[in-house]
Amino acid sequence: MQPDTSAIPIEPCKHCGTDAPVDVHFCPRCDRILTLGRHGDYFTFFGLHRRLRVDVKDLEQRFRALSRQFHPDYFHNASTTERLASLERSSYLNDAFRTLRDPLARLEYLLKLEGFAPKESRDPSATVPQGLLEDVFELNEELEAIQDMRIDGAPAGELAPRLDAARRPIEANLAEHERQLDTLMSTHDARFDAGDPAGRRTTLEAMRTLLLERTYLTNLLATVRRELNGGETARP
Amino acid sequence: MSKVVGIDLGTTNSLVAYVNGGAPAVIADESGDTLLPSVVSIDALDTVHVGREAQRRLLTDSARTVYSVKRFMGRGIEDVKDEERWFPFKVSGEAGGVVHIHLGDDELTPPEISGFILRELKRRAEAFFMKAGDFDPEVAAAVITVPAYFNDAQRTATRDAGRLAGLEVLRIINEPTAACLAYGLDKRREGIIAVYDLGGGTFDISILKVEEGVFQVLSTNGDTHLGGDDIDRVFVEIVAADLGLDPATQADAVQAVRKAVIQAKWDLSEFDETHVELSRVPGRTEPYSRRLTRAEFESLIEPIVVRTLQPCRRALEDAGLEPGQVADVVLVGGSTRIPMVRREVERLFGRKPRTDLNPDEVVAIGAAVQADILVGGRREMLLLDVTPLSLGIETMGGIVSKIILRNSTIPASGSEMFTTFVDSQTAVDIHILQGEREMAADNRSLGRFKLRGIPPMPAGLPRIQVRFQIDANGILSVSAHELRTGIEQAIEVKPSYGLTDEEVERMLIASFEHAQEDINARMLIELRNEAETIVAATEKTLRRPDFAEIAAVLLKADEVGAIRAALADLKRAMSTDDRDAIQAKTSALNQATHHLAEVMMNWTVQAALAGRSADDVAAKGR
Repeated sequence: MQPDTSAIPIEPCKHCGTDAPVDVHFCPRCDRILTLGRHGDYFTFFGLHRRLRVDVKDLEQRFRALSRQFHPDYFHNASTTERLASLERSSYLNDAFRTLRDPLARLEYLLKLEGFAPKESRDPSATVPQGLLEDVFELNEELEAIQDMRIDGAPAGELAPRLDAARRPIEANLAEHERQLDTLMSTHDARFDAGDPAGRRTTLEAMRTLLLERTYLTNLLATVRRELNGGETARP
Repeated sequence: MSKVVGIDLGTTNSLVAYVNGGAPAVIADESGDTLLPSVVSIDALDTVHVGREAQRRLLTDSARTVYSVKRFMGRGIEDVKDEERWFPFKVSGEAGGVVHIHLGDDELTPPEISGFILRELKRRAEAFFMKAGDFDPEVAAAVITVPAYFNDAQRTATRDAGRLAGLEVLRIINEPTAACLAYGLDKRREGIIAVYDLGGGTFDISILKVEEGVFQVLSTNGDTHLGGDDIDRVFVEIVAADLGLDPATQADAVQAVRKAVIQAKWDLSEFDETHVELSRVPGRTEPYSRRLTRAEFESLIEPIVVRTLQPCRRALEDAGLEPGQVADVVLVGGSTRIPMVRREVERLFGRKPRTDLNPDEVVAIGAAVQADILVGGRREMLLLDVTPLSLGIETMGGIVSKIILRNSTIPASGSEMFTTFVDSQTAVDIHILQGEREMAADNRSLGRFKLRGIPPMPAGLPRIQVRFQIDANGILSVSAHELRTGIEQAIEVKPSYGLTDEEVERMLIASFEHAQEDINARMLIELRNEAETIVAATEKTLRRPDFAEIAAVLLKADEVGAIRAALADLKRAMSTDDRDAIQAKTSALNQATHHLAEVMMNWTVQAALAGRSADDVAAKGR
């Protein structure tokens, strides 16, 4: 199965002027490496569909094969234009590989690509997602109580069990989010394969919400962990 | 076609290697030495000495002699203040600027000093090709290795050194990666490989995945100020205190101590005990001798060895691997000959490290292989390295905003949008940093850039995209353009701890005369090298803990006395410029030790045989 390339924009080869789709790596006529197209995306760059399940072994193989085609090592004696194209194409490849290799980064990237970028991208912890209001309220109360105890000089041994207890429901919630995300990824791919764009958008929308909540939960856990470490900032 | 070589520009020793018809080999000098001591000495007549001759001058003219210059590459005066006291030469420099090293009246930067070492290696390789009858022996380009954990300033300084030596630096590659390339070529191994590289001044750990000829670095970590030099300093301080030496006024004597201490360190990789010995010490009539056991040595170096373990754990964590997933651990660098280092590495990774490649030569060989790839000789192998440190820019409140994360495969790029804060503002300052810390002040400053020529617009309206590109050398370049008008912005660079292009142009190292161009000087140096080799070998034998036992059983009554006399004669001759005397005394010592060498050879063979049969017994017992 080849991705549908009919909608991909065209850009002329800087060497021979032949029109080439921006997601093609080498000029179809003169065979020279093409400067990086501005409209490509990571999936088409690797020759992949916009699916969320990626065979990592296959991805690695594609990465190695493309590295062997683009790497600056092989353009040492080429023209300035080709050397620059090799540098840009390799940089893009490395970025694309890092993103698509990691399931969460891959999902975030696809959401952005499909226009589902999280709205409050600056600081996701600023507003509490609707679905988590109750949990967060409870945890914050508990954290405040623990902080007060610490200020009153309660020993660490007394605080740790309470912090552990406070952490457990958040962890359970996080695990539940991950399970749901996992299911939705499969649903998304099934709808993609079935040619159901409307159904696909529904799953993407649902995944955006889950992802935002997940980020929020991860940040909450980091806060609890900081408290466990005696209120110090944890080393990143 | 002129030649392209691979160069390992080391803290202690440097080497040059070349691939000839697919087979990489290290190039030796006329005396057969492959290691060039990374020592440079400039005498009062402005003659430059490099290598063993410069190393000897450490004991007689230490104030004009530089060693371990790699520790100063791309660094500022504030980085080296703590250790400066123990170096015989003086250093100066402004905060945030390049270090200057004082050699008599001359004041040189680290890239210039390294340039002398590179020029000597270039000369050595050209002499080799000339001797081989090559009709184009010129060496015009090189691949030079650097520690994986070197930052941008340190890499750029290395590239500048190459330019100053008249070499086109085709590529800067990381030492552990080069070693892995050489190792992979030799063993045809695939899977996860960890390279533990403890050299004279730097420590690196790199985790690689080798598959289908692609050597992909997954993570790297290290410390660019940790190595054999630090071990030596521990013992120099102890012995100097014993003798009441003041490094500020008795630099030559401190260098003699350093030489003796290094010798003892080497001995302890082989024997359980040795003596730190100094024949002449200022202010003392008696020679100095101090017994040193391996246990004592290990207890003193333990903190240094332990400091290498945390970077190893971090590298594994960054690669998302457990120690058990590592297929092979490769040791690189002279300091990995220390038994304690091998033991600790084995304990951490849960497997015996590979020691079957020469840890001194493997990096240069890898560099030569990479040079061969670049000129098109070998296409089946490909190195994919990473940037060791995150790259970022300073934002409001002194916080760093990261643009390219550490362990990103290079080449890598990233971009960031900037705008203006006041109406009609036409320039923006950008501060670029490298490191993992949150606050700008805690990271390494790479440079300050000024974006100029922004079209006058109301505040906040311009959209200036700044693009950061790290190339395959791990070196950064920056470009910018304003998106609304499409105008390309001029960028003015003020590198921190670096030289500007104009400064590099100005540094004419050609103005220094090169001692080794002079045939007479050259012959004297070769004779001294030869003499030194036999002196070192003889002294090492005399220091063996079991020597008295061997001598009593196997040597004639007056033999040891005769050897000691010949040894003293030769050492006296070496301190003069009398070529005939050095030659005569060298052959005299050669003759005096002829029988001893035979005895030692038999002794070693017998010991090895005894060892093997003991192993056999153990094997049968299992």
